[in-house]
Amino acid sequence: MQTEPTIIGFLCNWCSYAAADLAGNSKLEVPGNLTTIRVMCSSRVDPVFILNAYFQGADGVLVAGCHPGDCHYQTGNYYARRRLALLIKILQTFDIEPKRLRLSWISASEGQRFSEITQEFAKFIKEAGPNPLKKKPFFE
Amino acid sequence: MTKVGLFLCECGPNIAEAVDLDKVTEVIKGDKKVALIERHRLLCSEDGKKFLAESIKKNGFERIVIAACSPKQHENTFMEVMTRAGLNPYLFQMVNIREQCAWMTPDKELATQKAIRLIRAAINRINYHTPLKQKEIECSPDVLIIGAGITGIETALRTAQKNRNIYIVEKNELGGVLNRLQSLYPGMQSARELLQKKIKEIKSHPEIKVFQKSKIKEILGFFGNFIARIETEDKKEVKLNIGSIILTIGGETFVPAELPNFGYKKFENVFTADEFENSVINKENLPQTIAIVHCVGREKFGYCSKICCANSMKLARLIKEKSKNTKVFQFYKELCLPGKEYDQFYKETKEQGVEFIRYKNIEIGDHKIDYISEDEIKQSLSVDMIILSTGLVPGKDTQYFANLLNIPLDDYGFFKEEHIKLAPVSTITEGISIAGGCQGPQDLNDAVIQAGASAGRTLSSLIPGRRLQVEAKTCEIADSICVGCGVCVRVCTYGALTIDESKHISVVNEVLCRGCGNCAAACPSGAARHRHFTNQEIYQEERAMLK
Amino acid sequence: METKNKDILIIGAGLAGIEASLLCARAGRKVYLLEKEPYFGGSAIKSEEVFPLMECATCMLAPKQSDVLENKNIELLTLSELQEVQGEAGNFTARIKKQARYVSLENCIGCGACFEPCPVEIDNNFEEGLSKRKAIYIACAGALPNAPAIDMNYCLRKKGEDCQACKQSCMFDAILYDDKDREITVNVGAIIVATGFKLGDASQYTNYGYKKFKNVLSAFEFERLRASNGPTTGIIQTKDGSPPDSIALIHCVGRKEKGYCSQVCCLYLTKFAHYAFDKIPGVKVYQFYKELSIPGKENEHFYKEIQKKGINSIRAENIEIIEADSGLQINYQNGNNKNGSIAVDMVVLAPPIEPHPETRNIARILNIELDQFGFLKTQPFNPVESNRAGIYIAGCAREPNFMQEAVVQAQDAAGQALNITED
Ligand SMILES: Cc1cc2nc3c(=O)[nH]c(=O)nc-3n(C[C@H](O)[C@H](O)[C@H](O)COP(=O)(O)OP(=O)(O)OC[C@H]3O[C@@H](n4cnc5c(N)ncnc54)[C@H](O)[C@@H]3O)c2cc1C
Ligand SMILES: Cc1cc2nc3c(=O)[nH]c(=O)nc-3n(C[C@H](O)[C@H](O)[C@H](O)COP(=O)(O)OP(=O)(O)OC[C@H]3O[C@@H](n4cnc5c(N)ncnc54)[C@H](O)[C@@H]3O)c2cc1C
Ligand code: SF4
Ligand code: SF4
Ligand code: SF4
Ligand code: SF4
Ligand code: SF4
Ligand code: FES
Repeated sequence: MQTEPTIIGFLCNWCSYAAADLAGNSKLEVPGNLTTIRVMCSSRVDPVFILNAYFQGADGVLVAGCHPGDCHYQTGNYYARRRLALLIKILQTFDIEPKRLRLSWISASEGQRFSEITQEFAKFIKEAGPNPLKKKPFFE
Repeated sequence: MTKVGLFLCECGPNIAEAVDLDKVTEVIKGDKKVALIERHRLLCSEDGKKFLAESIKKNGFERIVIAACSPKQHENTFMEVMTRAGLNPYLFQMVNIREQCAWMTPDKELATQKAIRLIRAAINRINYHTPLKQKEIECSPDVLIIGAGITGIETALRTAQKNRNIYIVEKNELGGVLNRLQSLYPGMQSARELLQKKIKEIKSHPEIKVFQKSKIKEILGFFGNFIARIETEDKKEVKLNIGSIILTIGGETFVPAELPNFGYKKFENVFTADEFENSVINKENLPQTIAIVHCVGREKFGYCSKICCANSMKLARLIKEKSKNTKVFQFYKELCLPGKEYDQFYKETKEQGVEFIRYKNIEIGDHKIDYISEDEIKQSLSVDMIILSTGLVPGKDTQYFANLLNIPLDDYGFFKEEHIKLAPVSTITEGISIAGGCQGPQDLNDAVIQAGASAGRTLSSLIPGRRLQVEAKTCEIADSICVGCGVCVRVCTYGALTIDESKHISVVNEVLCRGCGNCAAACPSGAARHRHFTNQEIYQEERAMLK
Repeated sequence: METKNKDILIIGAGLAGIEASLLCARAGRKVYLLEKEPYFGGSAIKSEEVFPLMECATCMLAPKQSDVLENKNIELLTLSELQEVQGEAGNFTARIKKQARYVSLENCIGCGACFEPCPVEIDNNFEEGLSKRKAIYIACAGALPNAPAIDMNYCLRKKGEDCQACKQSCMFDAILYDDKDREITVNVGAIIVATGFKLGDASQYTNYGYKKFKNVLSAFEFERLRASNGPTTGIIQTKDGSPPDSIALIHCVGRKEKGYCSQVCCLYLTKFAHYAFDKIPGVKVYQFYKELSIPGKENEHFYKEIQKKGINSIRAENIEIIEADSGLQINYQNGNNKNGSIAVDMVVLAPPIEPHPETRNIARILNIELDQFGFLKTQPFNPVESNRAGIYIAGCAREPNFMQEAVVQAQDAAGQALNITED
């Protein structure tokens, strides 16, 4: 049934989740194939969540948090950035293109930017085609 | 099987028109994890809340999923309804099918699909929720204030109340900088009189205990329950139980010994403003010409200290008061006179015949000043005395307390505030506040306000007879899994985690934990769990979204 | 001994009022938070970013605002103004006029369906007139509480017409045409005034050509141009819609006339320079200043960065702005008394921070003193205490100041209010 590629978004509660709400409030379009998971801070995003998302068939993963320096918990987003940088290396060993993972800083007033980034990312993922893991034998 | 109730809110036409809720019901109905699907036009209305509460009772739901607007809108509303209906409010998940679905997905078919995936994610996760409790702990309302300059004294006076003991510990005599000052700009009141009055007040206050010439040896514990060990003047040890700590250890004035162009300690009659006001001004005769040089050291330490411009003008006035015929020159770069009182103060100073000269570069010689003006012209002036208006820098013991209490310093060596704009007198450790000259360069007004602010924060959070409420969505450590690697300890900004040395595992202090979840992401063994955002809960969400 | 009333009244729900109310509520006190506008948050919600760390203002304010809205101890009264106060510390009685909103806060879910059909279109003051709004409106996307108000000065019904456009579009029975102004009386033990500031009208200082030339802007207009939730979604542009190639920032507008330094202008203009450099590639930025005031440990670094980015700083007196073929021309006398002239596409003025126009009225009602500039007067060595016991002042109502100062003053005032109402 799922014709479109699927994208999972991890949004930090204080900035990016608020930005997504604002995008909705302002009736700005956001791709329908993006579903979001709320976490308190981008630093909660365990790289394994992202790997798991790809293993389960996600075509793209977006992690969005507060702008550098703005994290509600001081430095959480710096941790997120470091972890994702490491994760990209691991992704390559699974043949997952690093660009299927996007880390963005979106502040609470940037509803417009949330809409733009997600649309642009969805477009990119659509062009990139399905997650290569879907074809691998070990994948259910 | 636990009885899970799913509520779909139409939000009038807002959700109902953009999402096909009949289709949603039809698809979800087959899911055995859901006992019943209920629907309401306006769930947050009084009628809606009543409907929710009654439905919970009637159907005996144990867990609830509500698909409606953003949790930022109504999560709390519904958590209250649940509490009143006798359910733990954390056995609840809200699905945002309005802001993040109906309103951002114009294609109804797509929006419906998306709503289904979002709702499934919540249904998947809800059985993993655990009931969380708002915990409370016993705490002491007493306060330890370290440093008895004007900030510390004022903090003590403002925090002192019935049923609350205040301990103020000073390593020297009481009073700090103010002991060295003649008068205070802009009102030109006597610093001594102010200080004496305040010292009398704290000494006679029944709830304030003053320790002079005493040392802080050790501080252990956390917000609500600190223990401090103090060595008193007569070398006795005193142990105090306190709930919060306020650091008011002040700063220091910069000594320009390492800046050769200011001629300090090289030529006679070159003093710092501090020295001048403290002693030189009391000499019998002031010389014929005095130059006051602003911004000394600013370039070196990298900020404007805020007080030097006005303080230099104050000195000019004190000089004029004492020796009317002394000619006073102010060598300045930029006049920093923020706030409503100082343009007038400047004008009055100028009217007393004080001359203002803007310099770009300056070199102080023997009884003379060579300078380059803004239009690049080299000039020279002979003077009898030179006062260097030096800035304010962190005090010597700042580092000591940073280590002792495990709180960070900023780039300049002052205590770092939790947030420069929103929490200027808090530190990242709850229960430890900072105020006055140790937080940053500031004038007396600022220092007194910060004293009042740290007092205000204490009065509002530590109340005699009341227990401390602790955040429910903290992390927890599964001691059977933890290997004691200490990774979590390192990532926690708030010092909420420590390694229990006897057991070699990590322990969380729930009073300090703010619930960011960083430790849970960092823990290599899965021992650190973030309540309400556990790995399992998130995997379940992913699973549903990707099915 | 008579027991004191423990409740606290806070007037003005800007940053200072919000902080004070959260602290008092945390102590378990009932707080009445008065705001005369239909939304709250004060001036800070107009900014996109906050100096010196360029943090997002909404991200800073919105969590505090939700804390207020969710706090059971705080009763936020929007569209409300103080009428009369009697009594003394520990026992004040305050009469408040709560203007009709014509929209039920209980029923409205903030969907916004009612704006579109409203036939009345007027300038949006919140956006400094840079965009339009309807008679039923919210100030900007994200404004809280998330519900519109009908501005009866413009609604057709006020003129006797039977317009029902908004009511018909509202599915939630939230429109209340027969809503009435109400009077509320509350008893409190202490009062905190946090009525904030207003930016001075730059057109009084005629040499700058404000209101005469279309690309001469006042500070808040520039803030709203940069705001993601503002009229241009954050795109800095001239009135004809193109990005400016050059911008001049003018410090100290009206300082001499007013007789004080507004403290925040040097730094928010520095922030504006960052906005310009970050958003408009290749833009030329000039600043015309007299004295630079960037006090405090955190600010010098921030200032140095715009120097690195290439701002052109000119110490200048006697500025005059005229319209030239190429755009705007700034004539000035520099620090060494030489005349100069520069052409730019856009000018941003920093007019004085003045007491909110309501301050005088508040002072009269509360019987507290004003200073020579019209700010509320406080005591030497207790800078948040008014001349009456139990009444405290915080934020820009007492003096122009930075956000962190508004916050600490609010915390100080809250502490004193808590203390004086203890038995
Ligand atoms: C030369 C000069 C002139 C000034 N003139 C004016 C003026 O005219 N008007 C104005 O508004 N402001 C003025 N200021 C600024 C004003 O004095 C300060 O803002 C204010 O005094 C700061 O007070 P404080 O209590 O924070 O610090 P301090 O006065 O420095 O007090 C800190 C105290 O902490 C104690 N302490 C330090 N370490 C420890 C420790 N380990 N254990 C225990 N105690 C410790 C110190 O001994 C000291 O007593 C002036 C400052 C200077 C330097
Ligand atoms: C252009 C500009 C940019 C700025 N940028 C920064 C920055 O980046 N960083 C920074 O630190 N500072 C900045 N500032 C300063 C900052 O805005 C103020 O310090 C801060 O907003 C002060 O908050 P306040 O609560 O005192 O006043 P306000 O924000 O003005 O709030 C006062 C509130 O009281 C309400 N009110 C007024 N009268 C009444 C009445 N009679 N009854 C009921 N309610 C009433 C008002 O409607 C308002 O909501 C800037 C200022 C300007 C002008
Ligand atoms: S609960 Fe949310 S979605 Fe439902 S009616 Fe209220 S505002 Fe609308
Ligand atoms: S959740 Fe955050 S604050 Fe709490 S212990 Fe873990 S890292 Fe520290
Ligand atoms: S990171 Fe995990 S395993 Fe290591 S100490 Fe912390 S909780 Fe234990
Ligand atoms: S009644 Fe008419 S004019 Fe008045 S607000 Fe509603 S739609 Fe606008
Ligand atoms: S008044 Fe009605 S139509 Fe307007 S925003 Fe509120 S609920 Fe929507
Ligand atoms: S809270 Fe947003 S990234 Fe940490």
